[in-house]
Amino acid sequence: MKITQEIKDNTVIMTLDGELDASSSVLLDEELSAPEIMKYSKILVDCQNLHYISSAGLGVFISHLQRFEDAQIKLIFYNMQEKVRNVFEILGLDLLMTIVSDYEEARTIANE
Amino acid sequence: MLYKTNAKSLLATVAVISWSLLLANVLLAAESLRQQKAIIGAFPFITNLLVIVFVVSVFLFQRLNTETLKGMDFMGYLMNLFSRGAVAAYVALPLHLGYKMVTEYNQLQSPLLLHLVYQINFGLLVIFLARAFYTWRQLLLYHKNKFLQIAWDWFELLLAATFLLTLFNFDYTNYIFLPLLALMCFYTLFLCTNLKWVAYLTFNNKSRSLLLLGAILVSCYVFLRYFYNSANSPELVVDYTDVGTLLLAMLFVGLYSLSAFLVSLFSLPTSSVFEQKSADLLNFQRLSQSIQQGQSEAQVYDMLFDSTIKASDASAAWYEHIRNSEPVVSHLLNVNEDQIKRIRHLLLAYNIHNIDYINNNLDRNPGFRDLMLPWKSLIILPIKTKKHLSGVLYLLKDIEQGFDRETVNVLRTFTSQTMLTIENLRLINESLQNERYKEELKIASQVQESLIPKNFPTDSWFEISTHAVAAKEVGGDFYDFLQLSESRIAIIIGDVSGKGISAAFHMAQMKGIFHGLMQQDMPPSEFMKQANSALSRCLEKTSFITSALYIIDYRMKGFMFARAGHCHTLYYNAMMDDVFYFQTEGLGLGIIRDKSYSNHVREMYYDYNPGDVMVIYTDGIVEARNEANEEYGENRLLYMLQQTYHLEAEDIKWAIINDLVDFTGPNNLYDDQTLLVIKFKPTQPKV
Repeated sequence: MKITQEIKDNTVIMTLDGELDASSSVLLDEELSAPEIMKYSKILVDCQNLHYISSAGLGVFISHLQRFEDAQIKLIFYNMQEKVRNVFEILGLDLLMTIVSDYEEARTIANE
Repeated sequence: MLYKTNAKSLLATVAVISWSLLLANVLLAAESLRQQKAIIGAFPFITNLLVIVFVVSVFLFQRLNTETLKGMDFMGYLMNLFSRGAVAAYVALPLHLGYKMVTEYNQLQSPLLLHLVYQINFGLLVIFLARAFYTWRQLLLYHKNKFLQIAWDWFELLLAATFLLTLFNFDYTNYIFLPLLALMCFYTLFLCTNLKWVAYLTFNNKSRSLLLLGAILVSCYVFLRYFYNSANSPELVVDYTDVGTLLLAMLFVGLYSLSAFLVSLFSLPTSSVFEQKSADLLNFQRLSQSIQQGQSEAQVYDMLFDSTIKASDASAAWYEHIRNSEPVVSHLLNVNEDQIKRIRHLLLAYNIHNIDYINNNLDRNPGFRDLMLPWKSLIILPIKTKKHLSGVLYLLKDIEQGFDRETVNVLRTFTSQTMLTIENLRLINESLQNERYKEELKIASQVQESLIPKNFPTDSWFEISTHAVAAKEVGGDFYDFLQLSESRIAIIIGDVSGKGISAAFHMAQMKGIFHGLMQQDMPPSEFMKQANSALSRCLEKTSFITSALYIIDYRMKGFMFARAGHCHTLYYNAMMDDVFYFQTEGLGLGIIRDKSYSNHVREMYYDYNPGDVMVIYTDGIVEARNEANEEYGENRLLYMLQQTYHLEAEDIKWAIINDLVDFTGPNNLYDDQTLLVIKFKPTQPKV
């Protein structure tokens, strides 16, 4: 699992590369818990190379969901693979989180 | 053993008889010499034969009698030699002097008495020689090698061969034999250089051994003097100095005693070094073996403290044990708390505490000079592994240059050995702890096993078959049922996020919530809302639970269900002959922790037909992977039901499980897997 961060126009673009399992979700939690991240109003998560997400990985996003919402930070996922999207959908997360098809769409929604 | 005892008593008897015969023979010869002034013809041959028999039997007796060396008790060994061998000389001497006094006082010549004394002294000599010979043999062969053993065996053989000279009454001083005897002397000299045992004597033992060796040397001298003075005496009919073998044996015994004496004497000044080294070695051994002997950490530190003080000859020392990153002085020697406090304060100021530090001239350092300490050298030895500091050892000496390189090396070896021992002790303790955890996990596993129902109620209107395996000892999957009324049954399946102990706890909690809430018989969606609210209070932030609850009403021939983020239910409709997944919405439990959750769960009612099949499972089934990292997937599961819906529930389950194992390969379980197959049957007419 490789997590890279890029800051662009008050937006954090986080790229997830690999499999988000129990061990790598700890890394993700560290990234999302960092205090700097609260300075930005938008977090875009690029899931193009995310091949698998375990319940632990989902748990990390879920645990930060409320916090971001309270701080009015938008969390948007894009480029999600069908398989991974299915996992989000089964759990009902597609209705709670914003999952869009590509980067442009994500940007548009973020800027609304 | 019996053989040895028998042989010893036999040899002793032979020795006594041969000696008595020899005495009789000699006395007879002396008597005839006095009366007839001529010796009987066969006299020397008989005498020589008897001498050989006597000497051989005594030597063999002593060979058997000399006990093997026990450990390193050289002193006891020497003492034995003295008390049972060398003391003979101190008996022979007064005997001889007594004879002299008696003859001179009475002014009479008594050849018989002279011969008797001579004969007795001869016996004593042989006993002493034999004893000394075989005692030296044991010591000479201490730490022997093969070559030395062979050399010795040959020496004994050659010595035995010299009896031939006596037997045939050859004169060994003959020119033919002299070179051979000289060679034997050199051989003996070579053997006398094997004195390894002397090195193992401590200083005290060496001084005592010098005394004993001196006494033994005096014995040799007394015998030599006596027999050489008596040699060629016109009054005597025999002369035992003619027996070459005895002379060689005496040479060996004397030389070996002398060399042992000299080596002991000259190694006396260096023996303390050797003692120190062997003490260090012994302490290393004790340290490294302390684990096997089941010693505690505290005992290891005791050992370290004593050993290092002995090895360095330190005049003062203390050891600080680091407990909760605070130093606690646990061992003290000739130093008081105040001095420790001052030294530590100074070291802290220099920022050199807890590191390797040697100062061999404290007076040159103004800081230490101001402390007015009675010591001049200091060494600090931290006991630490890569990440863990166990303690710090301080050694002080009242001389300058007290810790030379040699000593420091030894000290460092001690400390590293201690670290190793401590580390090993910790590892052993940890592995014991792990063992206990494993045992407790086993119990947890058994408890969880009991939480999962083994037998569903068997009824005529449906069949149910279940399968559940956990990836680890305890898992997060669960299913359960509750008979709500005669015609209604509630079935729940769930999966707690994560694996292991925490998942197992939540699973047990969920089971409690299920049984608690369903006592009140509520619709599935209401159950999910209430369960979500209950779980919100106790589930940690990153955890959530997916679940699906089905209430099957056999009288209405239908079931009601709600899905909370759990895998879609796979269904075969017998009427339409169709296999499909129920696509319903529903959010997992514990994701939204407020009232708004009620907007995220839907309830569905479905009428079933006889022959319908419902497959309920957890994600461990559909997300199981093969070696190519592909998932089993919903489609393959659907396909399997299409192929098997006509079978009994049990057979459908096995068909799916076998297909799954074919797909993943054996022993490839990464997530808990649970599978329930329910098949509705036509209503049986009630009797």
